[in-house]
Amino acid sequence: MALSLLTMATWYIYAGGAVAAVFLTIGLGRLDENASDAWIFRPLLIPGVLLIWPLVLWRWRVLHRGENKLDRHRMPRAAQDRIALAFVCAIPLIIGIALISRQNPDALAPPVLLEAAK
Amino acid sequence: MSVSYVPVQWNPNKWKYDAVLIALVVVYIIVFLRLGTPAADFTRPVDGAILRIRAFGSCAFLMLTVILAIGPLARLDKRFAPILYNRRHFGVMTTAVAFTHAMYVLGWYFAYAPIPRLEALLVSNTSFGQFLGFPIEALGIAALLILSVLAATSHDFWLSFLSAPVWKSLHLMIYPAYVFVVAHVALGYFQDAKSPVFALIFTGGALTVAGLHLASWFKERRFSPSTEKWVKACKPSEIPDKRAVIVTISQQERVAIFRTGNSFSAVSNTCAHQGGPLGEGKIVYGHVTCPWHGFSYKARNGCSPAPFTEKIPTYNMSLENGVLFIDPKANQPGTDVEPIIVEGVVHG
Amino acid sequence: MAKEKDPFFVGWGKIPKDYKVFLISLTASIIAVFAILSYAISSTQSDPGDGALMGLTTAVGILQADPYPVLHVISSGRYQPGETIILSGGGKRGVVKRAAGFDGQVVRAAGVTMQRGDLNGMQLRSGKNGLRGDDTGADAFTVRVENLGRWRLTGEICDGKCLNGAMRPGRGLAHKACANLCLLGGVPPVFVSSAPVEGSEFLLMADANGKAVTEEILKFTATYVEIEGEVERRGELLIFKISPETIRLAQ
Repeated sequence: MALSLLTMATWYIYAGGAVAAVFLTIGLGRLDENASDAWIFRPLLIPGVLLIWPLVLWRWRVLHRGENKLDRHRMPRAAQDRIALAFVCAIPLIIGIALISRQNPDALAPPVLLEAAK
Repeated sequence: MSVSYVPVQWNPNKWKYDAVLIALVVVYIIVFLRLGTPAADFTRPVDGAILRIRAFGSCAFLMLTVILAIGPLARLDKRFAPILYNRRHFGVMTTAVAFTHAMYVLGWYFAYAPIPRLEALLVSNTSFGQFLGFPIEALGIAALLILSVLAATSHDFWLSFLSAPVWKSLHLMIYPAYVFVVAHVALGYFQDAKSPVFALIFTGGALTVAGLHLASWFKERRFSPSTEKWVKACKPSEIPDKRAVIVTISQQERVAIFRTGNSFSAVSNTCAHQGGPLGEGKIVYGHVTCPWHGFSYKARNGCSPAPFTEKIPTYNMSLENGVLFIDPKANQPGTDVEPIIVEGVVHG
Repeated sequence: MAKEKDPFFVGWGKIPKDYKVFLISLTASIIAVFAILSYAISSTQSDPGDGALMGLTTAVGILQADPYPVLHVISSGRYQPGETIILSGGGKRGVVKRAAGFDGQVVRAAGVTMQRGDLNGMQLRSGKNGLRGDDTGADAFTVRVENLGRWRLTGEICDGKCLNGAMRPGRGLAHKACANLCLLGGVPPVFVSSAPVEGSEFLLMADANGKAVTEEILKFTATYVEIEGEVERRGELLIFKISPETIRLAQ
């Protein structure tokens, strides 16, 4: 289980490396005019591509086909509100659980002899 | 911005910001290891590796706490906005500190075992069904992974490539990350520390962040959305000169009405850069200027001044019986709209 | 310079004067608060106790393999005859396999000594340098075994190596995964009782039959638990033969 998780993670990073190699050398300059002559900043993007390469491939496809319909001014504000509220509830909940669970080493029961040796 | 990408767009304010960040970490670690620890009441000293685990871990927690407090603080009091300006550097630095903490943990608690470190990390504790003794490492890994993704995608390129809404959604993961960190500490060191001092600092910090978010949420809620065809905004005199009033027209959309002297224009409240609240900005050198990173636009057409090419949507307005109304249907970004001129208006 | 009427900060521009004062004081207070919090957190860390590594030594004694390898000392430069030492290997490893062939025999053990209160331990050197049969004709003695009855004890399940001084602190929830790794590696589990039982707060754990405990206890390591079981004194060490079905979190 643990091993297969590690193996999967390793392959995920390898795949990310392949995507990064193609994207940062060929794909980037074609997609973003601001990047076409900018090379120094590209190594900075490698960790990001390694971590979220499926998202990179998806956006690459969308931009390549010119389907970019996402309204830049329509931000995920409703989602942000919901997440922030869930966050506001989660923090006291976790701290509450942690406080209730907390064991006091100075208030432990003393040893009890249940049955003397025969 | 629409100029060739560079690793960091440095300016003097960013240098100062980063210098303060580095000072913060250095001061924290030195005080922890050189001043505080020798003053602790130990029969025999705590292992050096464990001290460093604690120093970097607690430092990362406090930094993340400050980062999450900046957003709501800047909404509640504008003077905090400059800290928000370079929040990304704060985030990257925090990720580095958290990573250092994780490396010390891996090299101490998970080294010297018959199995490799990463495998040891995953198999040593699998008691996911209980609160006390829960594998806190899993929580820490989850938080660190999120922080790494956010740090790795903090460059402006990612904003433009992923599009601002996708980028923003991705970066909302900072909230689950903080929840993981709080649980990581609450079920770990918080249980071990006998002194109430750590418990107070930890719970105080986490609850303050939650409280600030609640407060800023209440403040935001006052702008209630409207379903009317033309949305009633406000009287022209309610808008201070060179400033704006924000009007909520739907769940996702807000409009900022800017005033320059006696001329009024409506643009999207969302900056094309990182989605900053333009309506909390100001007219600087004749342009609407975002309070977050200083991106600017012409009020009448939503276009950035040359050489920049950023555009935001504009909105049509009308003046009826001395009140401004907004057409909730946004114009295409960059559409020129004749400003509404209201003679003899004073701020009152 | 006159005060601006409506100050506004732009990252690429000059910071307004009103903001400057605020920002300088804010920066100074954040750094000061971080320094104070750092001092507060670090100066109130819990005492890790007196467990420590104490240097190299050798000991000749009677090896007992179950539930975990221990040595009843016959002669040693460091230990008193009759003292009982818990044995472990390098890193997070026990010496169960190495000791298996020597059960009940007189052996010569060498390694790093560990001590915490009246709990004695030794991290054996590798191979024969660490453990081999003794042919010097040392006088073996019969290890005294005494049944002390059935007890309900409250305390913490630890790994007998970190607790003993290999790590400081070598117990608690932050150390749980490490304790589990040690136990999985064969390091003897030690129960730290809330108060001394018949003179000692440290008890070597065993299952009800006096053999090594199962992985069931890994769920409960590093927390305070209640367990019932027979307590037995072997040499100078207490053995806690637990009934695993009775383990539960302490209140």
